[in-house]
Amino acid sequence: MANTWGYGAMTNSLGDIQNAKAIIIFGANPAVNHPVGFGHFLKAKERNNAQIIVVDPRMTKTAAKADIYAQIRPGTDIPFMYGMLHLIFKNGWHDEKFINDRVYAMDEVMEEAKKWTPEKVEDVTGVSVEKLMQITRVYSRSTPGTLIWAMGLTQHNIGSSNTRLAPIIQLALGNMGVEGGGTNILRGHDNVQGATDMCCLSHTLPGYYGLSAGSWKYFAKSWGVDYEWLAGRFKDKKMMSAKGFSLSRWYAGVLAGKPGEDKIHNAGTNLKALFVMGNGITSIAQQAKVKEALDDLELIVLADPFVNEAAILTDKQDDVFILPAATQFETSGSVTATNRSAQWRSKVVEPLYESKTDHEVMFELAKRLGFYGEYTKGMLIRENKKEFTFPEDATDEIARIIKTIGLTGWTAERIKKHTDNWHMFDKVSLRGFGPMKGEYYGLPWPCWTETHSGSPILYNISLPVKEGGMGFRNRFGVEREGVDLLAGKGSAPVGSANPDGYPEITAENIEEVLGITLTDEEKAKIGKNWKVDTSNIIAQKCMEAGIAPYGNAKARAKVWTFPDPIPIHREPLHSPRSDLTKAHPTYKDKENHYRVDTKYASVQSEKDWSKDFPVNLVTGRLVNMNGAGVAERGSKYLAALTPEMFCDMHPDLAFNLGIKNGNMIWIHSPEGTKIKVKAKFSFSVSPDRVFLPFHYAGHFQGEDLSHKYPEGTTPYAVGESANTVTNYGYDIITQIPETKGGLCHIEKA
Amino acid sequence: MKTDTDKALSTKVGRRSFLKMAGIAGAFGATSAFASTGVTRAATQEEIRNPFPESKKVRTVCTACSVGCGITAEVQNGVWVRQEVAQDHPVSMGGHCCKGAGMIDMVRAGARLKHPMVKEGGKWKRISWDTAYERISSKLKNIRENDGPDATMFLGSAKMGTEQAYYFRKFVAFYGTNNIDHQARI
Repeated sequence: MANTWGYGAMTNSLGDIQNAKAIIIFGANPAVNHPVGFGHFLKAKERNNAQIIVVDPRMTKTAAKADIYAQIRPGTDIPFMYGMLHLIFKNGWHDEKFINDRVYAMDEVMEEAKKWTPEKVEDVTGVSVEKLMQITRVYSRSTPGTLIWAMGLTQHNIGSSNTRLAPIIQLALGNMGVEGGGTNILRGHDNVQGATDMCCLSHTLPGYYGLSAGSWKYFAKSWGVDYEWLAGRFKDKKMMSAKGFSLSRWYAGVLAGKPGEDKIHNAGTNLKALFVMGNGITSIAQQAKVKEALDDLELIVLADPFVNEAAILTDKQDDVFILPAATQFETSGSVTATNRSAQWRSKVVEPLYESKTDHEVMFELAKRLGFYGEYTKGMLIRENKKEFTFPEDATDEIARIIKTIGLTGWTAERIKKHTDNWHMFDKVSLRGFGPMKGEYYGLPWPCWTETHSGSPILYNISLPVKEGGMGFRNRFGVEREGVDLLAGKGSAPVGSANPDGYPEITAENIEEVLGITLTDEEKAKIGKNWKVDTSNIIAQKCMEAGIAPYGNAKARAKVWTFPDPIPIHREPLHSPRSDLTKAHPTYKDKENHYRVDTKYASVQSEKDWSKDFPVNLVTGRLVNMNGAGVAERGSKYLAALTPEMFCDMHPDLAFNLGIKNGNMIWIHSPEGTKIKVKAKFSFSVSPDRVFLPFHYAGHFQGEDLSHKYPEGTTPYAVGESANTVTNYGYDIITQIPETKGGLCHIEKA
Repeated sequence: MKTDTDKALSTKVGRRSFLKMAGIAGAFGATSAFASTGVTRAATQEEIRNPFPESKKVRTVCTACSVGCGITAEVQNGVWVRQEVAQDHPVSMGGHCCKGAGMIDMVRAGARLKHPMVKEGGKWKRISWDTAYERISSKLKNIRENDGPDATMFLGSAKMGTEQAYYFRKFVAFYGTNNIDHQARI
C-alpha cells in the first residue's frame, strides 16, 4: 500500500463505511475480530442497502451476514482479483478519468488481467464463473465501494502482492479518496497502528524514516545526541543501516550453524539474548523451532502482565526472567486506532501487585546500561525543561520529530481534549461540534500543524488540505521512463495554489511550487525538506497555499523495485495443487532476508507436498480472544467461553478419516511437527480444509505443560498452539509468515 | 487448583450470564468493604442507588482490538469497581464485545504475574525488582561486550501505548542494534 500511494494505513474510517454502497471483504472477519466496528458495516446495509460481499476460505460469521459469499481456495486472492479486473476492463466499468489523472501503469495491469478469464479463475480459486461475475457486477456497479482486508491477505508468500492488487481494484473503479470508498485494513491489536507508526520494526526508524545514514542523523540531532556517538553504539555503520531480524524469524538467529538451519548475516554472531515486552511467543509459525531457540539462548527476559508462554515452552533451566508488567489501564498515553485517530487512554488504577509500567522498566535498564541521560533527553528539548513528565513529554517529542506521517498536530494537550470531548463528534464523518468544530475525532494523521483538522479520508481531493484533503503522495520520483508521475491537470485538492500535480515540497522548490517568497529569516530557519523541517515553516506555508507538503502525484500500479513489478499469482509454498506450482511457481530462494537466508522455490519444488499432506490449513481468531490469547485465557469468564483448543472440520472429511465429533485428532505438518486437538464438526469449512484458532498455548505436541507455570499463574484455558503446525513460508518483502494456507495431514488420536 | 479450574470451566456461560457475572464480580469487591463490621444487614435505598459513594468515572480506551472503543471505568478508593460502555463514544456508540466487557476482569485477574521471578536450576524463584534489574543488566552488558549489540533480539508490542512503543524503539537504537520487531510483522 505504502508502495502504491504513499502510506500503508487504513484510508477511511469505520464510521465512513456507513457511506458505502458496497463492501467487499477479503480475508477479514470483523464480526468476530472487531465486533463493535462491524456495527458500522451493518449500518451501511440499513442506510444504503449496501451489498456485503465476503471472499474467504471459511464461511465466517462475517460471511454469514453477507449478501454474497465466495469460498476461495487459500492463497488464490490474486487470481480472484484479476478475475474481477478482467471483467471490469472488459465491460468498461473502470473510471477512465481517475486512472488517467491519478494512476501510473494501469495499462500493464490490464494486460495481466486479460490472462485471467473467469474460467481460469474458477479452476485456480474454486469460485465459480457465475459467482465471480455476480460479485464483480455488484461491486463495480454499486459505487462508492469500500474494500476491507486483514491478515487473510497479508499472511502469504505473495502477501505484499495481494495488498497491492486490492488497492489497484479500488483505483480502477475510482473508489479512492471518496466517502464510502477506500482500502480499509482492519488492524489487529489496539495499538498496532501506533506501534507501527513508532516503528518497533527491524527495517525502519519511527515515522517510517528508514535506516539510511541521513535518517539516523536526523534522529540523532532531534534526540539531542551526537550522531557519531550513536553510531558508536552499533557494531559499525553498515549494521546501523542493515535491517534486523524480524519477529517471524528471529529464532533462526539462534539456531544458525546447526545442521539444516538457514544461514544468517548478523555481524558475525548468533542471537544470545531475547528481551520481550508484551509479545506472545506463540504468535509466530514454527513453534518447535522457537522452542529449540529459546532453549539455546543465554538470557530470556519476558515482561508481561501474565506469564509469557515462552517461559513455559522452553526447557531452559536458568536465567529466564519474568517481570510483571502493568496493563495499559495502569498507565496512560496515546493509542492510535485502525483509522489513524489518536485517543488518550487514561490511567484507571495504579499498577497492581508489584507490577511496573513498561517505560519504567526501560528507563531503569537504560540507567544501568549507562545511556539514560541521552535516551530521555529528547523529552526536555521542546520546552528546554530540566525534568520530563511521561508520557506527555514523549507525545510532544514525537510531535516535534515525526513529519513523514504528519504528527506535528498530535500534542498531548490536543489528544486529551479530543478524548475528553468524544461526545462532540459526528459518528459517520467524525466532524466535531461546538468547541471541537473544525476538527475530526482523534485528529487522524496526517495532522500537519498544531491547528490542523486531521485527515479522515486519505487522498481526498474534494477538501482543501487544511481541512484534511490531499492527493497521492509523491514518493517515487517525478518521472519514470519518460512518463510523468505527478498527478494530472486539475487534480489537486480544492483551494490549491497549484491546481495540478506537484512534487514533494523542499526548501529549494517551495517558492516555485507555492508561488510565494520567503523572508530571509524563514530561509535561515527552514529545514531541507518537509520530512525534516522541524521549524514547520514548510507545513505552515503549505496550509496557507492549500498544498499537501508531500506533493500531489499519481498512485502507481507498478512497483519497479519489487520482484513482481505488477502483482502476479504464485502458488503457496505448500500447495494442494501441484499441477499449478509449475505454471505459477513461488520466488527463488532469497539470501539475507532480514538477516536470514529464506527458502522459497527449494521448498515448493522439493516434492508434491499434497500427496502426504492433503488438507489445507487456515488459522484465525475467536470472538473472545486476541493475539496469543494469554490475557483472555487468564480471565475466567472469557476463558470459559472456549475452554479448549479445537479444530473446525467438515463432517465429510472426518467421516473419511474415521473421526467423530469430539474425538481427539493429531494434525501433522510438513515440518514433522504435530498437535493433538479436539475435532469439532463445522460446515464453515469445506471438506478439503480445516480451521484452527491461534490463541492457545500451554500444550506442546501432545504434552501438557501446565505444571511449568509458576504457582497461581496458570491460565484458565491451555491448549496446543496452532503455530506448532503452521508451515514454513514467508512473504517476499515483509517476511510475514504464510500461516493462511499451508498443508497438513490428519489422523485420529 | 486443577479441580477448581475444571469446575469453573464446566459451567456453561452465555453472553448474558457472562455480563451478569462480570457485574457481580464488580459488586463483590466493594460489598466486602461493608462486611468489615462483621454484621450482615439489608442494604439501604441509598446504598442500592449509589453503591460506590465518591467513586469517580474515568474515560479510557479498550485494549482488545484496533477499533478503539470507549470505556467508562468507575474507580473507588483506587479500586476499579465497575465498567460501563461509553454510550456517547463516536466509534463504539455504546457497544462492547465480550473482550471489551472483560477488561475489568483482565486487570483484576488472579492469574496475573504478581512479582518478578527467575528460573534457577529449573525452579521458579521470587526476586526483587532491584535484583532483577541488576542481573538482567549485567547479563546484557556481558553479552553486548562479548558478542556485540546484535546478539540481542528485542520484541516490542502493539499493546503498548504509542509513547512506550516509541521509547522501546529508541531503547533498541541506543542499545545499538536493529534487531527489534513487533506484532505488525504477523
